[in-house]
Parts: sequence; structure tokens; C-alpha cells
Amino acid sequence: MKPKVAFFDFASCEGCQLQIANLEEEILDLIKIVDVVSFREVMKEHSDEYDISFIEGSIMRPMDEERLKKIRNRSKTLVAFGACACIGGVNKIRNQWSSEEVKKEVYGNSNLEDNKYFDVYQTKAVNEIVPVDYYIRGCPPSREEIKKVITALALGKKPDIPNYPVCVECKKNENICLFELGKFCLGPITRAGCNAICPTNGEPCDGCRGILKKPQVQCVMDVLKRYDLTYEEMKRRALLYNYNEEDEK
Amino acid sequence: MSKDVNINVHHITRVEGHGNIVLDVKKGEIKKIQWQVPEAPRFFEAMLRGRHYDELRTITSRICGICSIGHSLASLKATEDALDIKITEQSRILRQIALNAENMQSHILHVGYLAAPDLFGVGSVFPLVGSKNQDTLIKIVKLHRISNYMSDMLCGRTTHPIRLVVGGFSMIPTEKQLLKLKQELNNIIQPTKEVAQKILDVSDKLPNFTRETEYIALKSEKEYPFYEGEIASTDTGVFPDYKNYKKIMQEYIVPQSTAKYAKHNRDSYMAGALARFNLNSDKLHPLAKDVAEMFKLKAVCYNPFMNNIAQLVEFVHNIEDSIICIDTLLEKEIKDEKPTKVKIKKGRGVGIVEVPRGILVHDYTLDGNGNCTKANCIIPTNQNHGNIQKDMEKFVPEIIHKKEKEIELNLEMLVRAYDPCISCSTHYLDVKFI
Amino acid sequence: MSKSNDVKIITKKELDNFVNSLIKEKKFDVVGVKSKGERFVYGNIESSDQLRLDYDVTILPPKKYFLPQYEKLISFDLKNPLKSKNNLDTSERIIIGMHPYDIIALEQADIVYLDSQQDDFYKKRRENTIIIGVDIQNVSDRSFAESMGTNVTKSGFDLLLTKIAGRYAVTIGSKKGSNLLDKYAETKKAEKADIEKIKQERDKIAKSYKKEVKIKGIDDWSKLLSANYNNAIWEEKSDKCLECSSCTMVCPTCYCYDVKDNVSLNLENGERIRTWDGCLLRDFTEVSGGEVFRESIRDRYRHRFYRKGNYLPSRYGFIACVGCGRCGTACLPDIADPCDLINDLSVFGGKDDPNKFFIKKKSKSQEEGIIHVPRSATIKQVEKETENETFFKLKLDDGKPLNHEPGQFVEVSVFGVGEAPFGISSAPDNTPIFDIVVRKVGDVTSKLVKMKKGDKIGIRGPLGHGFDMKSFEGKHLLLASGGTGVIPMRSVIQYLTNPKNRKKYKDVTILYGCKEPSQMLFSHELEDWKKCPDVECTLTVDQCPEGECWDGNVGLITTLFPKIKLDEYDSENTIAIVIGPPVMYKFVIKCLQTLGIPDKNIWVSLERRMKCGVGKCGHCQINGVYCCKEGPVFNYEKIKELPEAFE
Repeated sequence: MKPKVAFFDFASCEGCQLQIANLEEEILDLIKIVDVVSFREVMKEHSDEYDISFIEGSIMRPMDEERLKKIRNRSKTLVAFGACACIGGVNKIRNQWSSEEVKKEVYGNSNLEDNKYFDVYQTKAVNEIVPVDYYIRGCPPSREEIKKVITALALGKKPDIPNYPVCVECKKNENICLFELGKFCLGPITRAGCNAICPTNGEPCDGCRGILKKPQVQCVMDVLKRYDLTYEEMKRRALLYNYNEEDEK
Repeated sequence: MSKDVNINVHHITRVEGHGNIVLDVKKGEIKKIQWQVPEAPRFFEAMLRGRHYDELRTITSRICGICSIGHSLASLKATEDALDIKITEQSRILRQIALNAENMQSHILHVGYLAAPDLFGVGSVFPLVGSKNQDTLIKIVKLHRISNYMSDMLCGRTTHPIRLVVGGFSMIPTEKQLLKLKQELNNIIQPTKEVAQKILDVSDKLPNFTRETEYIALKSEKEYPFYEGEIASTDTGVFPDYKNYKKIMQEYIVPQSTAKYAKHNRDSYMAGALARFNLNSDKLHPLAKDVAEMFKLKAVCYNPFMNNIAQLVEFVHNIEDSIICIDTLLEKEIKDEKPTKVKIKKGRGVGIVEVPRGILVHDYTLDGNGNCTKANCIIPTNQNHGNIQKDMEKFVPEIIHKKEKEIELNLEMLVRAYDPCISCSTHYLDVKFI
Repeated sequence: MSKSNDVKIITKKELDNFVNSLIKEKKFDVVGVKSKGERFVYGNIESSDQLRLDYDVTILPPKKYFLPQYEKLISFDLKNPLKSKNNLDTSERIIIGMHPYDIIALEQADIVYLDSQQDDFYKKRRENTIIIGVDIQNVSDRSFAESMGTNVTKSGFDLLLTKIAGRYAVTIGSKKGSNLLDKYAETKKAEKADIEKIKQERDKIAKSYKKEVKIKGIDDWSKLLSANYNNAIWEEKSDKCLECSSCTMVCPTCYCYDVKDNVSLNLENGERIRTWDGCLLRDFTEVSGGEVFRESIRDRYRHRFYRKGNYLPSRYGFIACVGCGRCGTACLPDIADPCDLINDLSVFGGKDDPNKFFIKKKSKSQEEGIIHVPRSATIKQVEKETENETFFKLKLDDGKPLNHEPGQFVEVSVFGVGEAPFGISSAPDNTPIFDIVVRKVGDVTSKLVKMKKGDKIGIRGPLGHGFDMKSFEGKHLLLASGGTGVIPMRSVIQYLTNPKNRKKYKDVTILYGCKEPSQMLFSHELEDWKKCPDVECTLTVDQCPEGECWDGNVGLITTLFPKIKLDEYDSENTIAIVIGPPVMYKFVIKCLQTLGIPDKNIWVSLERRMKCGVGKCGHCQINGVYCCKEGPVFNYEKIKELPEAFE
């Protein structure tokens, strides 16, 4: 019995779902091993009966929360798909200001009081509303990892997601460490699994896959001093995707 | 005809983002026709506040997964405009190929995966597997794969590119890689022609609907423009004063939409492949011109359904253009350049590019520390919402006699024809703060 | 014809021609040191122009050509996995530009990978690679190779280039090297003055090292580390550790690896991949049940230095550090540099037995090739023993007997999911049939327990050291099993209760305790054991829940010991075997000691994360000992001194 699979999106850029389309010829393999019963972006058909649901995007409004809870009730397994769903992603940047403030700035004095479309609160990741069984992290997640998770779910085994930092993969790729090039990279504290794609292309890691563990303060100070970097640079990079974690700093 | 029609398409399928079509007819009288945009607003412009100039590209790329290269480039152009940074010719050509790649990827995804199913009479591409049209599906997938291969190679990653940075590229492709790409592009010309023929065979399913409206896109004297050009309108001509784009693109809020609408000379206007075609069709490369000829597509075309065909034509043009660009680069020899150095200064910059769905504007103001104090983005789909609404208002009376299911399908096809990118369009509005 | 240690002279131009001729030759895969930004890397070169023999150090050592970052060991078709294919790399490679310290590191790797359990993949690559070394021309800021004695080398290369006054001296290191040189290069014989210049050049470079380690030589390193296992320095430094394992990734003498199965999206085929692993990572010692055997960062940080400076020296006789300085560069908080660490430690001084963390044991010889590719076995019988444990009778398809010792283990492959170690549960009987019992804890075991009679799996083994039953002859035997410890113990019990063997041993006492009656394993056999002459078999459960039937002892296994009469017990001539969960050992061994059984008569079987089973992947280390190689059976007297054994 092929598992029934459904894709849903909330507040997102739909890049994660696009990665499914980006599987190219392997999409034909995908539909061989699972039954895609709902995927609004590419198909008209829809069913409310599914085993595994993939959720892309963050939750910003009560109406989204309701929709998500319905999906959770119908799914045996729920997978948070992409940084916005897993950790809030870039959507969480706006949590630095209150929702009222942001709405006022953006929409001015328009009468949106009773409009449920505009009833936003602070951005939330999916696991802040419902329990999540598995995470496919990254912005966007790598196609390799997506295949890995789907294959594991189809085989009935736990997806093998690294618990170690990006540095392991970056070093295996023989990249020049970005710190040596005067940039602050979040690789040492970010979860691996993306094959260090950003450092391999010359740009520092932004931490889009989530922070593994907060580094010890003295270590950070030593590193900033050794590579002549400022605290500001570090803070900026850390706040791109991981607003909540680093705000205590 | 005194019938009742009640159509409520919630979260239309096969478009990017969330949109609703509402049609209410009582005893033959049209009570309500509405194109609603309930997509969650994400407040991107708010998020750009106070960010350093080198982060703007990373954040705005996430406005859209499909046009992330386009957003990145518009963002970089705006930043470079504000800081007075010039990029090398090599970088400019590489960026042009990257934009071609995105256009190709998006258009073939739209025409092949999102729009064509309607022409083949199926709900998605999946039923095509094992059918007599499986061959076409396989070709479409191959075209999509090569487009992604192109942007993967140039930008490091096709969705949310990595190598596009302020001043140029963080890493340059090698000569070997460019030669291989050229070979792949040459290899897909034949399959593209075959797919075009297949679409032609079913193109009679595209409704013959026209409504005169204004078309706005970039226009250029030297080429069919994507990366560079001047704002132009089919009504009022070329507008070189790009920093004052607001005079052309006038946005306003409507209650049924979290995205804004836009107008200029008329109540609404259209941006996108058809707009570009209507303004620049004479600059198409030869094979692309042939394909346009095949479908009898001529400027000025007022049928929004032909936007799908214009996308197909552009796909072919992008292949030819990329091959020419690669030849130019190799003639001059690829140099392993570093991005242009940045000197921080106060300033305002505007970056305008054509992305698959139309003309895109990013507008940033930077302070003396290199941080953004003000930002505005005009998204192509925003500009189309008004046109969609107006089209529906004209189209519905013309098809009101049809069965309800058929009306629904036709309205969906109309929306799909615009290839809306709704997540993009609800990023948000301009922000003023001290 | 050139001979080894002959020296030739080659001009720069001729060297370029030589290199370009090699590149032109299609059959060679020519690799050299070239620049990457401001740094250097080993990579394929397309012309001699790209060669940078003046480099200081490469980002990654040449180990990537012998133990690649990602290596496909076998590929399999899921419908027919046991017909898996070996993916040996047969390309002929020439590496140009290896510095002496990297050459020496490779020779160390040879000792590890080409021992009695040879790694086919490594071997093939080594045989097919020609090494053209180069004497160091520019010393890296972080290198301390001179004080490690690794800045120059007399062996390990096929050819060695030394730059002397604008030309190159080429020292012949092997027949392969001299043949290559004769075939593709124009050289002159070296004069005495040239030989002198080589020495002068090396001496000059030797003086330009910025770093020097104060403690020199394997003896002093080992003794210093032995004396400072509990020094506060480990905590201090590891506080700053990011656990990124960059140090092990760039190290030429780090060889630990992990093996995983990947399945393609169509679920039809897959591959078993080997990839670099690092002991600094927390998951390095994690087993399916969730236990992590080296949990704290302080322990992991310390472990790396001990492995290099104490454990591997005990085992192989070399310090597994060649002073290249790569880890010093790679470590962001700069705590990985062994030169700095040893110098800091030397302030505390101290010397202790250098071998106190190692147990020397004779290695068992194994057939070549089986270290990666499993043999096929068919499941003959499947029986659910308890809620979580399932019994399997397996038959090796090639018909050869397993030939194991009680206490050894096998690695069972479920292709597409992975491999896991299982203690062999039956006594050796000269047939290809043996038993295992599987407890469902993780992916492999979950898949296994769903398999049926007739299904096929892969077997590697027997592995490890078991119980030397012959050496126990003439003695009493006290066997204490806790929980799943009875599974390997059954192999010993079956052996002892076999009429052919029983008379060779004196009294046999079996003690077996588990949590609850429903978790008792081999319940039908326990009666048989009780019926055996001269076998005392006592069972106990920790607790007996409502509704369960139990008329035996209730209490921990330690409660059974007071019943054993002390003065009737010939403790000096009793061998005790203890197998059970980690927490059990401390308490049971105390009981045994109270009975007067000497430590040297006590044998234990320990569990760690055993992956390769042949002492190469590094995951099962207990200080300097490999659980899969020196163990899993250990003599308590020897293992008790190892701090990591019973934590």
C-alpha cells in the first residue's frame, strides 16, 4: 500500500514545493512510491484522506492556525518542510516589532479591523501550533535531503539527518574557511545536511537549517578577535533566520 | 437566460499562491464577480528596515521561490544604484544568462505543468504518465531540468541563488562549464520545437477572448529586454525617468485582497510575457520569431490567454540568447573576477528587471552606515490583479450561457494565463519610518 | 637503469616536460598541488603550469585519494541485494607534490588499513598510485613537523623532488619510480656536490619552523599523557570547543569512518557509502538504544589527543600526528593544535605507564575482502521470544561453517537500511547454521523483526575475541547474565552443556536475572539447563507485576549471590563470566570479589557502537582498545584500569 501524501503551504514563498517540481525526472519515481493526493500548486485533484502531510510556510493568522490543526488531525505523519515551517525562517524577522506596529506601517489607517485576512500575530513555526514528526530543514531544503526523507518514510525508517555542524561537510568539500576570508559564517553552529552549499559557493552560512547549540561566550569572543570581525557582523548574520535563539545575546 | 450560477473557487489550483474566484449570478443577473487574494501578508518591506546593504538580496530573494533570481537581481541593481557601483561586462552578461535561466524554468513550469493540463483535459501532469502524451511530459521535464541546471551552475542554486552578490558574483563558472552548458542548450532546441508543436495541436482550447488594455514592460533598442531596459507602455511610450516609476505604476489597496492593485493610463494594465512581446516582438531571435509565427501571435495581442504562448516564445528566445551570451563571454575569455569593491555612502537606488511574470521594481534608500531606511517593491502580479478583475468582468457575460463547470474552468484558465505569483504580490507596502 | 636511492638531476624545463608527458598519457590520472585562492589543494592538473611545488600546506591532506570523503563500497539491487557489487577504484593515479609529513602519514595509514584484515579499497588505491614527493620549500606558520621528525623522509615515495639552486634533484624511491622517470624524463646523474646541496637545503628549511613542540618522541608523549588523564586542562580547553570536528576532517592521520546505506527514490536500488567521521561529534559513540558512550565534550576533546599521542602509539608504535599544522589552522577557537596542547601540558609534567590505556592481544586472522562485503545467509526460523525480542536461526548460503568462538559477534546487513552487530547466541557446531536474537530498538532491528523464513540477509563475521573455552577447562564456571546478556551467554551455556564438553569442566552455575517474567528469554531451554548434571541454574526477576506467573526468586541478580556458600566455594579455581547492561557490572563484580574470585578469573563482555567490526572505523573505542577487536570479551583484571570501560 503506497502511502498517501499531501502538500500544503501557508505563509511562504513556495520555493520548497518548487523543489519537489525540481526533482525533474525523479518525480516519476516519486509518484511510483507514494500517492500524491493533494498538491495545490501542481494539481487540481484534492483529497482529504492522507497519511503524510508536508507543511511549507509559517503560521501568522488564526485562520491559518485552524487550517493547520485540521491537517494535523487528518495526518498520521506531519513533516515540517523548509525553514519557514521548521524554525520560522525569514518570516520571523518581523517579530522584532509588534504586529500592530507593522500593520500600521504597512497598511496605514485602512479599516482592516474585521478583515480576517489581515488579522496577523507574531510569526510562528509549525511546531509552535501542532506536534511535528519530522523536519526537512533549509531555505530551500536540498533536493537530496528531500529524497532522503521521502525514501525513509516510504521504507518505514527514521530519516538520517545529521546532528553535527556544517563545518564537517564544508571541510569535506575542501572549501577555504570563510572566516579566513574575513566573513562571519554560522557554519560551526548550524546543522549540516545541505552539503555546505553556501560556503561552497563562496558565501557564508546563514544558519537557515537551524542552530544546533549556542556557542560558549568566550569561544565567540576569541573567534571574533582572531579573525578581526565585529560583534555587529555576527549579530546581523545570526538574526537572519534564527531570531529567537540569538536575541538574548 | 435566467439561471443561477454560484462559483466559489477557494485557493485556485495550479497557480503559485492563494487566490479565490467568486462568481454569483441570480436569475441571469451578475451580482458579484471577484478575484480575491487571501494570501498571508508577510511584510517584507518591514523586514528590510535597518538591515545592512549586503543582506537585502538574501531577504528579498525569499519573497518568491520561483523568481528568486529575479528578486535577487532587482535587489542588487537597486543596491548598486544607491551605492554607485558599476559591475563588469562579464558580470552583466552572466546575470543576463541567469535571468534567462529563470525565465526558462518558470515558463516551462507554467506552460508545461500548470497550464497545459487544461489543454490536455487533465487535472495535473501526473495522469499524463502512461498516456499517449507521456512522451511530451518527458520532454517538458527535460526542458525544465536543463533550465535548472543552468541556474544551478551560474548561481550555485536555482531557488534562492547564492553566487549573486553586490558588485558581481562570489564565484565565476569555468570555461569548461560554459561550453558544456552551450552544448546542453543546443540539445534542447529540437525537443522544444516538438513540445511547441504538441501545444499547437491543442491550442484551439484556448478561448478566443480579447479586451483592449494597457501593457507595461521594459523596452530596449538593442535587445528583447530582461536585465536592462526602460519602462514603456503601449499607451504612452517610453519613460526613461526610472526613479519615478511610481508615476507609471500606481498602487492602491482593495479590501478583498491582501495584495495591492495597480493602474496607470486606464483602470488596470497587464505586465508579463505578453506585455513584453507586445512592446518588443521585433527584437526576438529568429527561432523565437518562427514559434510566434506558428501560433499566429502578433503584436499587439489583446488576448490574455495568449500570455501562455508568449511564454513559450520567450522560452525559445532565452535559449538562443543564452547561447549568444556564452559565445560572447568565451570570445573575451572568462576571468576569475572578484565583485566590485563597495564604498558605503548615503543614497537611493532603483533596480528594475523583467522577471517571468512581468516588470519588477526594487527601491531602496540607504543611510551613511550602509543600512536600509526605506524600501519599496512593485511586484508584477500586483500589477495584474486589477487586469484580472476587469477581464473577468468582461469575460463572464460572454460565457454565461455555458455549463457551470465550464465557466469555472474558463475562469480558472483565465487566472492561470496570467501565471500569477501570489506570494510575491503580498509581500507588502512601502514603509516610512525615522 | 636507475636504482633506489639513486639521485638524478632534472632541470625545471625538463620537469615540466616530464609532468606534461604524464598528463598526456591517457591512462594516468595526474594529481598535483595547485593553488585555490590564497591556499593550496591537491587536484587534477591539466598542465605543469598549474603545479605549485613551493606551497606550504594543502587544505586537505592526500588521504582523500586513498580514503575518499564519500566512497561507494557496494551497490545493490533491492530485489536481489545479496548479489551486491564491489566498487573498487582501479584508476592509475600519480600524485605530485607530497610533503614528507604527508608521506609519513600515509605510511601510518598503511599499518592501520593493510593489517591482517586488509581493506580492499585502500589497498587497490595504494597499489595503483605513484607518489612523487617534494621536499618542503616554504614552511607553514602552524607546522611543527621538524620537532616531530616528519619534515624529511627516506622512504614512502616513488620519487622525491628537492629544489636545489633552480634545478631539481630527484631521489629514486622505488622501481616504479625509476621506471617512470626513465620512460618519460630526461635526467642527468647527480654529482656529489648536488647531494651536499640537498642536505643543505633541508637543513635550511628545518631552521625556519616557527613552532616547536617541547616534548619529543613517542615515549615522552605517551608517558606525559598517561600521567595527565584527569588534568583540569581538558575541561578548560574543551569549554570553547564547537564540536565541529574540523580538526579530524583536515587531519592526515585521522581515519575514522561511518558507513550508511542510501536507497534511490524508486526504492529499487541503493548503495552502501563510507564517509569520514569524527570522534569530536557526539553521535560518534551513540547506539540505537540511545546510549552515548562518550558523552561530554571534555571527554571527546581529550580523546583525540590520547588517540594520537597515547593509544595509537601503544598499538602501532607511532605518534599519530605528523605536525602538519592543519588542525591548528582549521580550529576556529584555536584549541586543536597538538603542539600547543602538549607544550601547555608539559608545564604540569609527570610520567606514567604509557600503555596503561591499552590491552595487547594477538589478532585473529581473517579472510581478505569480507571486511566490507557481506556473505549471504537465509533465515531458517523466526520466533518471537518476548514482546521486544525475536529469535532467528540463520544458515550461511555458501555452506561454510561460521567457525566462531562463544562470545564473538556478527554484523548483520539489511540492505537499504544498514548493518548492526549481534552477539552469536549458539555454540559453534561445525555447521553453517547459527542463532541470533534481535531486540527491536532502531531502524535495522525494526526491519529485521518483520522478516520471515526464507528471507535473505548479509553476514560479516565472526568478529572480535570470544571466550577462550579451552583455557577454562578444569575449572568451575559461574555465569551471570542480566537481561539481554543471556543472549551471548547462551553460546557459552550450550557449549558447556554439550555432553562432548561437559566433563572437561567442573561445577557450572548459571545465574540469570531480568526485569519481569514476561521478559525471560529462552524459557523452554532454561528447563533443559536446569536438568543438566552438575549445572546449578537459578533465575530471578527484579519485580513480578500483577497477573504474571512467577514462582522463582524476586530481586536483583545480586540477591542471588549470598545464597552461594562461601567456604564451599573454590573461588581460586572458578572462572566467572558476566554479561549484562552497563549498570550491572559494578555490582555483580563486587559480589564476585566478595566470593573471593580473583579479578583475573573474571571475564566480561562489553557493548559499544560496533560498525566495521575490524578495528578501523573507530567508533567502538574504549580508551586505546577496540571493543570489536580486543573485545567484546575482556578479562576484568586488564580492562578495569581503563577509565572508559565502566563509566
